[in-house]
Amino acid sequence: MLSAAHIPIGSKGSFLISTNVGIMIWTIVVFVISMFILRRAVFPRIGEALDNRAKKIEGDIDAAAELRKEADKVLDEYRERLKEARAQSDEIVQRARQAAETHEREAKEQGREMIAEASERAQRDIESATKRALDDLRREVADLTIMATEKVTRKTLDDADQRRLVEEALGELDFSGLSSGAPNN
Amino acid sequence: MSAVAGAPPIAPGVGGTPPAEKHGMSTKRKIGLSVFGVWFGGIVLFVILFGVTAHKAPDVASSAFSPVDEFRLDTWFKAGPVAFNKGVLYLLLTTGITLGVMFYIARRLQQRPGRLQVAVEMFYDLARRMSRENLDQRMERKYFPLIATIFVFILVSNLIGYIPLPVNSGSTFKVFGAHIPSLQIYAADTNVAFPLILALSVFVLFTYEGVKHHGPIGYVKSLMPGGVKGPIVGLIFPIEILSNFLRLISLTVRLWANLLAGHLLIAFMGGELGVLVGLQLVSWVLLPFGVAIFIFEAVLIAGLQAFIFAILTAIYIGGAVESH
Repeated sequence: MLSAAHIPIGSKGSFLISTNVGIMIWTIVVFVISMFILRRAVFPRIGEALDNRAKKIEGDIDAAAELRKEADKVLDEYRERLKEARAQSDEIVQRARQAAETHEREAKEQGREMIAEASERAQRDIESATKRALDDLRREVADLTIMATEKVTRKTLDDADQRRLVEEALGELDFSGLSSGAPNN
Repeated sequence: MSAVAGAPPIAPGVGGTPPAEKHGMSTKRKIGLSVFGVWFGGIVLFVILFGVTAHKAPDVASSAFSPVDEFRLDTWFKAGPVAFNKGVLYLLLTTGITLGVMFYIARRLQQRPGRLQVAVEMFYDLARRMSRENLDQRMERKYFPLIATIFVFILVSNLIGYIPLPVNSGSTFKVFGAHIPSLQIYAADTNVAFPLILALSVFVLFTYEGVKHHGPIGYVKSLMPGGVKGPIVGLIFPIEILSNFLRLISLTVRLWANLLAGHLLIAFMGGELGVLVGLQLVSWVLLPFGVAIFIFEAVLIAGLQAFIFAILTAIYIGGAVESH
């Protein structure tokens, strides 16, 4: 059984702690050869590759930081421009509004003036037409008066008589009603 | 045509019943339980077939067989004064694999590394850091190759020590009439000569650097811790001198004993203890422990011991030139 088992290690294991000179020589020889080869042909390459990668990463980080800085700058510029554009657009809108208001005011003013002018012109036209009509009427009345007087008196009237008769007839006629009622016609 | 066959298919989770929740054990649990079942069943089977009475093999009973015999270096052949044995084979394998892998990676260094390149770069970076942290710039340039080579050389030597190879010439089996050595896990550093010569080299180097830097008397003085004065110097000084020489032994024994003990443990737990006590059941019972120790040794101890040897080399060399 287990307790009775004799495990034969100690009696035969002394070779384990005795140094084998052959292995020592082999070890140091292959180790030195390995170190020499690794030192000459392998470590520099790996070191260089790692350094290059580290430099590249460093460069990439720097480039990224630079790019970020540039992007921030561009963004700031863009924001500034946007701000300016907004201010300009606000100003334009403001100006347009003011212009529109001015234009509206002027248009109203102009319209009012035009209406007043038109109204004045119409008044003038009416007055002139009334005057023309009155003159025509006077002339007609004068002619009728002269004609009637010549028929009644059977004589031809000279210019002085004609003028006197006309003046008298017109003096008796009242045209005030016509002139005051003219604009209503 | 049956009614079931004619029925429209119901899309899972669309209008029909919700998908059934997973019940039962996970795959890992199933595998674990199956392995345990096989192991436990094996115990029962062994008890039924062989009982619990020990039956030692004749070689074991007569003490002709010893598990440590596997670590004996039998000379296979000689070429002049040079003897070849499995220790030499493992050293050559270590050298070949170390140089092969390192060359392979060094010639195919990619900007986007593969797994092997990542592993090599990690090793390189670790070796460089342990050199830079313990040595000044001049010494780092000088000794980085040594420290890195020690690291990778011992690591590879340790790792191939966990691959079973037909190297046990003390026990052979026949294949088509040829005597083939039995499979064995062996490492060059299970022989004390391997770590001893490396430790001796490190000892000589750091002593040389210390003497070169401080002068012979200065170096011996530098072994004393700073601030120790008075009569206590007489007590501390011999201890410090002794501890300096013990570095050689500790460096050697740490690596050698760890590897040898690990290999012996794996061998014992992997079946040899059962053979020694003459009870097959013991071999079967201990097998899972053997596998666990194998994994532990291969994953942790192999790398850890290489790392410790390399970093202690850096610390000793750095310490030798350090002014107190």
